[in-house]
Amino acid sequence: MSTATTAQASEAKRGFDPIWFGRALALVAGVLLVLYPILSDNLYYQNMIILSLVFAIAASGLSIITGLAGYVSLGQGAFIGLGGYTVGILATKHPDTNVWLWMPLAGVVAALVALILGFVALRARGPSFVIITVAFLFLVQVIAINWRPLTGGTEGLSLPIPTWDIDIQNWPFYYTLVGILGLQLLLTWWIRRTKLGTGLVAIREDETKAATIGINLPVEKIIAFVASSMLVGVAGGVYGYYLTFIDPRGMFNILLSVETMLALLVGGKATLWGPVLGAFIVEPLNEYANNNLGGGNTRLLLFGGLLIVIVLFLPQGVLPAIESLLNWVRTRGRAGLVGARIGTGGSLASLTDRLSLVDREVTTAPPPLLEIKDLHKAFGGLKAVDGASFVVPEGSITGLIGPNGSGKTTLFNLVDNTIHADAGEIWLAGERIDKLSSWSRAHRGLGRTFQITRLFREMTVLENVVAAQRSFSWGQLGRIAVSGPEAKAADELLEYVGMRAFRDQKARALSFGQQKLVELAQVLMLDPRLILLDEPAGGINPVLIDRMSEMIRELNSYGKTFLIVEHNMPFVLGLCDPVHVLGRGRTMASGTPAEIQKDPAVVDAYLGDDFVLEAADATPAAHERTATP
Amino acid sequence: MTELLQTLVLSLLVGGIYALVASGLTLIFGVMRVINIAHGAYLILGAFITYTLWNQLGLDPLVGVLITTPVVFGLGWLIYRLMVRPIRHAPMSSTVLLTFGLALVTEGVMGLIWGNNSTAIRPSYVDESFHVGALFLPKAQVYGGVLAVVVLGALWLILTKTWLGRAIRAAAANPASAELVGIKVTSVAALVFGLGLAAAGAGGAITGVLYPFVPGSHYVWIARLLAIVVLGGLGSLEGAVVSALIFGFAETVTAVYISPAWATAVPYAIVFAVLLIRPQGLLGTRLRDDAVAA
Repeated sequence: MSTATTAQASEAKRGFDPIWFGRALALVAGVLLVLYPILSDNLYYQNMIILSLVFAIAASGLSIITGLAGYVSLGQGAFIGLGGYTVGILATKHPDTNVWLWMPLAGVVAALVALILGFVALRARGPSFVIITVAFLFLVQVIAINWRPLTGGTEGLSLPIPTWDIDIQNWPFYYTLVGILGLQLLLTWWIRRTKLGTGLVAIREDETKAATIGINLPVEKIIAFVASSMLVGVAGGVYGYYLTFIDPRGMFNILLSVETMLALLVGGKATLWGPVLGAFIVEPLNEYANNNLGGGNTRLLLFGGLLIVIVLFLPQGVLPAIESLLNWVRTRGRAGLVGARIGTGGSLASLTDRLSLVDREVTTAPPPLLEIKDLHKAFGGLKAVDGASFVVPEGSITGLIGPNGSGKTTLFNLVDNTIHADAGEIWLAGERIDKLSSWSRAHRGLGRTFQITRLFREMTVLENVVAAQRSFSWGQLGRIAVSGPEAKAADELLEYVGMRAFRDQKARALSFGQQKLVELAQVLMLDPRLILLDEPAGGINPVLIDRMSEMIRELNSYGKTFLIVEHNMPFVLGLCDPVHVLGRGRTMASGTPAEIQKDPAVVDAYLGDDFVLEAADATPAAHERTATP
Repeated sequence: MTELLQTLVLSLLVGGIYALVASGLTLIFGVMRVINIAHGAYLILGAFITYTLWNQLGLDPLVGVLITTPVVFGLGWLIYRLMVRPIRHAPMSSTVLLTFGLALVTEGVMGLIWGNNSTAIRPSYVDESFHVGALFLPKAQVYGGVLAVVVLGALWLILTKTWLGRAIRAAAANPASAELVGIKVTSVAALVFGLGLAAAGAGGAITGVLYPFVPGSHYVWIARLLAIVVLGGLGSLEGAVVSALIFGFAETVTAVYISPAWATAVPYAIVFAVLLIRPQGLLGTRLRDDAVAA
């Protein structure tokens, strides 16, 4: 049974779906918007709609970088200003050319500036990014004030007065902006559905983790930045022409950015239609405050007060609030799915086209897949990893054990570049990878799960899995993620780990054990050659532990190599060969499980004198009693 | 040579004032990971309160610090309790937006109360200067600079010599552990927010004498202050002081030797340069990547 038919069936059972009501509402609003100037010649409202359209475009653009990627920008207004100035400067330098011809150029300028700013802001996260965007806005304003020959300084620039028939009023501005808004919404909608979009949301949720599942951070962030400002530049050009007068205080006023941000927040920053709705709420309020309440200071109180109220009381915005209300009404009195039993898992048959079989008979002496050479990492004076060296043979399930604090997780972090090594070499399949970024390592076949699972909490289970990017290509970024082959592959993997029934749940709603399974599916989506598992059996129930080792064995038989950190000795010693023992950041022993159990140094440092594997089955915590010397 | 020396001394005096105000901003960030965009607005508020005290009661603006500072401290304490505390676990961008909203509201309120015309506090000594050798040092700048250093010193003593100071540093280093050893972190945070804002208020009383101001001046100030704390390393008090002095110097030199118009661009240039070359600033430590949720 295909996914689509299941979805439709459950849809039909539910009956009326509010999403269709919403869509109908959007359609009606769209038609009214297009017909309005024809039906009414009221210039006051026409002006209000034109300004709302400008902010709707700016806010919809902003939703890409702020809503999806989670980077709060207070410099969005600068792109309106840049567009306005591009058109203004060109129109005054070439008075005989039709002003409309310059509009696309306004978009190009905005895109170029966004590209440069994107490069500058690459290393800034969280608050630093906000500061950079504000600094950018003010810097552009200072330049516009001081570069008098080009911009006319504080006196500003006057654009040519439109020459068309007075009867059609401001229709050309109006319909051009409607068209740009349509394009911007299309762009935003498309990005949300692609691998690029899921990648951006992954960046918002957990940037470091996103890098480990193959998401190329700089490329995605810069694309997002350009996509969020290009059409805003064009709209700014139209806006400047509409005003027929531009000056630095008006065009680069931070209140333009604030109003854009407010439109986004009020409507709902991660939604498609929220920014538009928000703009059509905030801009009329602004007009009202300006005309009826004295403007100036009242406007400040309105914007500032609204910002405070939204942040404190409605952080999700109007549309998501309505959505969660409807959800609450619909699911009231029903048991959640979260407590449901985990599926028993599908067969790997459906996966064999993705996984390559390895013929065990041929590979007699397996070459090393991963080689760690004299790796070092210190945190201040603490040497967490201090000269660790070991090899993970191709096709093996290798174990990595050691007392708490011996550097196991740090070592994983170094291998997938979650943190950078101070010295040493890491080789994967004959290639040195310690200078590569996390995503490049993922593209070369490295997958990794975390001790404390790091799923993208606000994404659904399915989205979590499709977010992984096996390789980097520009074409792949544009591939649709939420349906089609990508979603199908993710579905299969979820079926395999037994989590298919949970595919539409938010990851944050899952239990710890369920999250471990989803994280495994997420990593499998990378189709990795080597899978690093950080305590796969930690904190989950015994049945799930058995299932986990069953899956590891099965995947291994299809050629996947594993490196496993685990404290559960029966699990490790029953599954892994060879086993490496880490102590104080160094490899202190390597060998078969049998050899390791007899090694006096290992017994002394980690296993303890009374460790016997058979007995340990009954007392799994045996090793912990004498764990650290 | 004299001109250069003069520039240097004046920039040091200005730098002392910047150091005071920036300490408040970086202290707030260090303890509660909040970037208080309204910091500049409370500086201007301090200036307006001082103006009213001087204008209505004839109180010397530099004495006015004694009143301005507690008033702004109380306001900061209240703001933390009412607004910042409820969202202290929200992403950092929420508090940025919240304090930005506060800045706008404060600007609007100041505009309604004091109007949007340029205001200046002009005590009798404002046009007088000290003559030291060939140097002309305006009295207001000297008094202001010295006062700023005194207040900064007091802040420093509070942080290093008192129980409150130790509690503050403990809460900054590890809030959860601080709770365990009996420090009520939210109470400490409220005091820190008050203290941080008080530093801005005191700075406002001092700078109100040096430069005319309008409610909208807070943008210039917040840009300047952010540049200073970014340069010094967010959360680092020593960094803020050092970079405030560097910044005062860079700004004064640009104004004297290039043009005052471009001096306003200095903060932005510094922000870009720092975040490009050394995002953690001069003395800041790099925040753990996984601890910075955008």
